[in-house]
Amino acid sequence: MLRRSRYRRERILLPGESEGRRNFLRWGLAGTAILAVGGASWLFTRRTRPMSLGGPLLALSPVEATVVLALSERLLPPHGSFPRPLDVDLPRRVDAIVAMAPEATQAEIRQLVRLFDNALASFLLDGQFHTFTESTLEQQDARIAAWQASRHAIRRTGYKALKRLVYAGYYGAKETWAAIGYPGPPPFTSPERKVEPQPQKPPEPKRPPPRARPPEAAPAPRPVEEAPAPRSGMDLPAEGPP
Amino acid sequence: MSEAAPGRIVDAGELRRDVEETPEVCVVGSGAGGAVVAARLAERGKRVVVLEEGGHYPPEKMQMDEAWAFPALYQERGQRATADLAITVLQGRAVGGSTVVNWTTSFRTPPRVFRHWAEVSGISGLDERALEPHFQAVEERLHIGPWPLEAVNANNHVLWEGAGRLSWDREVIRRNVFGCQDLGYCGTGCPAGAKQSADQTFLADAVRDGARVYAHARVTRLEKAGKRIAAVVGQALDPSTLKPTGRKVVVRPKLVVLSGGAINTPALLLRSGYDPSGRVGKRTFLHPVVASAAVFPDKVEGYYGAPQSVSSHHFADRGKGRVGFFLEAAPLHPILVATSLGGFGVTHEDEMARLPYTNGLIALAIDGFLPEEEGGTVSIRSDGRVRLDYKIGREVWEALREGNKALARVQLAAGASMVYSFHEDPVVMRTEAEVALLDRAPWEPLRVGVFSAHAMGGCAMGRDPEKSVVDARLKLHWLDNTWVVDGSVFPTSLGVNPQETIFAIAHWASDHIASAAG
Repeated sequence: MLRRSRYRRERILLPGESEGRRNFLRWGLAGTAILAVGGASWLFTRRTRPMSLGGPLLALSPVEATVVLALSERLLPPHGSFPRPLDVDLPRRVDAIVAMAPEATQAEIRQLVRLFDNALASFLLDGQFHTFTESTLEQQDARIAAWQASRHAIRRTGYKALKRLVYAGYYGAKETWAAIGYPGPPPFTSPERKVEPQPQKPPEPKRPPPRARPPEAAPAPRPVEEAPAPRSGMDLPAEGPP
Repeated sequence: MSEAAPGRIVDAGELRRDVEETPEVCVVGSGAGGAVVAARLAERGKRVVVLEEGGHYPPEKMQMDEAWAFPALYQERGQRATADLAITVLQGRAVGGSTVVNWTTSFRTPPRVFRHWAEVSGISGLDERALEPHFQAVEERLHIGPWPLEAVNANNHVLWEGAGRLSWDREVIRRNVFGCQDLGYCGTGCPAGAKQSADQTFLADAVRDGARVYAHARVTRLEKAGKRIAAVVGQALDPSTLKPTGRKVVVRPKLVVLSGGAINTPALLLRSGYDPSGRVGKRTFLHPVVASAAVFPDKVEGYYGAPQSVSSHHFADRGKGRVGFFLEAAPLHPILVATSLGGFGVTHEDEMARLPYTNGLIALAIDGFLPEEEGGTVSIRSDGRVRLDYKIGREVWEALREGNKALARVQLAAGASMVYSFHEDPVVMRTEAEVALLDRAPWEPLRVGVFSAHAMGGCAMGRDPEKSVVDARLKLHWLDNTWVVDGSVFPTSLGVNPQETIFAIAHWASDHIASAAG
């Protein structure tokens, strides 16, 4: 079968896979088999439909970005004043982070996302018949928790990889900072700089007025309005591909 | 045929054609090791070329923004970790190396470390007496001095206060700053030019004395000819994508100094097929770290103020058969905290929502001193990417657990209303009695967050060429013209933050290298 052979070439190699260790290897082959058999079975009819996320993606496919969005909705469920993932364009932020990685790493992350979403993998591992995106919220949380607490270290690795991507993308967005009370960087304009300090200058650092106190001394609160915009409008990823 | 004038920093990503250099000395890497060697050899009139994979970011380019800094200033765009992602590794990648992003903590090497090295590696001539003038020299150049207690921020003050109430050893940390504005953004690159990082000090001296530095020049291979490295081959990287531009930088020096750090230096040797004793990339030590978060009734604002200014080495020596640990604080910026905390969903959001009231402390395990400890391994994947493995042994897990308990006790003693661990299922403690809950928590990879900011070892020094990589003067055993000068030469970890040790050892090694240079 065409589809089968296409998948077979892509051996699952999660970011954490230990190439030389048998149990990891077996898991990797099982993951390949899952994607392959999934293509041949009725569970393959269960597919994630790509959402329109507006604009081109750099590394992820539209389906993969849709899975990342669905996952981030549960890693960051509606709560207090936290912006929703789509409000900060999170799928594209995650995509930009993935795009910065070497191509082999990108391929691993994309496979991980597909495996996480896959209905057959979910059936075999956790007894759920659905893709992640078509599962109920409770099922989605249960699937995340199953990866998080799995006795297979490789699944915990997969969970960690996805979690890091989502949270790095989300909290890199300045719009999220109000919800966590982070005022952003303090006011700073380049002072008269000692461009080339010489060894004969006193080694004692110039002491700034102490701002910090022990916690019981109640440091003066720093209102959010006080926080300036960062010095540049440069946003994530500053160095990313165009 | 080179395009650059002597004595400057060139962005190799902007080269229009290949460059070939024939200096006396080629230094690979511009951090605490490479910058010092470059300065001291240039000072003696040697023609020096430095190749640095990272970009050149002077203070005015610094953003005080993690989303900018991690991709710009850190190895693997801030994603470096062990292969199983169980330990995330913070390591700098820029002109100036990790000193551009470290938290300015400066310690001399504890004398017991030198004694241990002499014992296990058979090396002589490297101890606190031999290094004394070199410690003095780097302390002067880096403006290393004590941070005044009254300037310690609230986050660090928790450690001061808690350790004091428990009658544990505590001290105020010395820092390499001059004109520090107390911003708290050392980890994203100092925008004030106050941090006396390698690029601001020794590398600037080297450039003044004629050294030529290529930024965005990634060394891919060393070419051997007999018992010498004849050529250092680098590829120019596009400054924004960091992909090769196709331009090459080839250096044919008399002497080669490898200073890429404890992960990249072994990786370069392995890629170049140099591993005569099978010891390259072995015994990599990380000071594995656990963290503990505490909530206080008043704001802590752990994202502001000098990030690390208090430490406790009370548990550094825990007696025979045990791994020691030391306690410090960590700055609490959103991405670092969010990607480190355990749990997900509302649990994680609640933890984040308390950020201004949260204190973060860390316990660093002093790995590599027990005979059974082998540490980690650096290797090369089939597609060329570097790979780091580190199996946390039983003794290190024990130290991490006890370290976590010590942190919780410090935080509760300092008045925390609640303390929680970085387990995926966080252990929550409100009283001293509840600290024992940590004994029942899972201490396994990926069930609790483990971190590292101190990569060491991988090219261990030693007398026996079969059991080590470099000799007691840091020269590669089997080559006549190549030295390793960075944290990779340590036979064990240090038990203190490593930058000053690397600066000082580089200062000391420069004398040996200079005499070989003639």
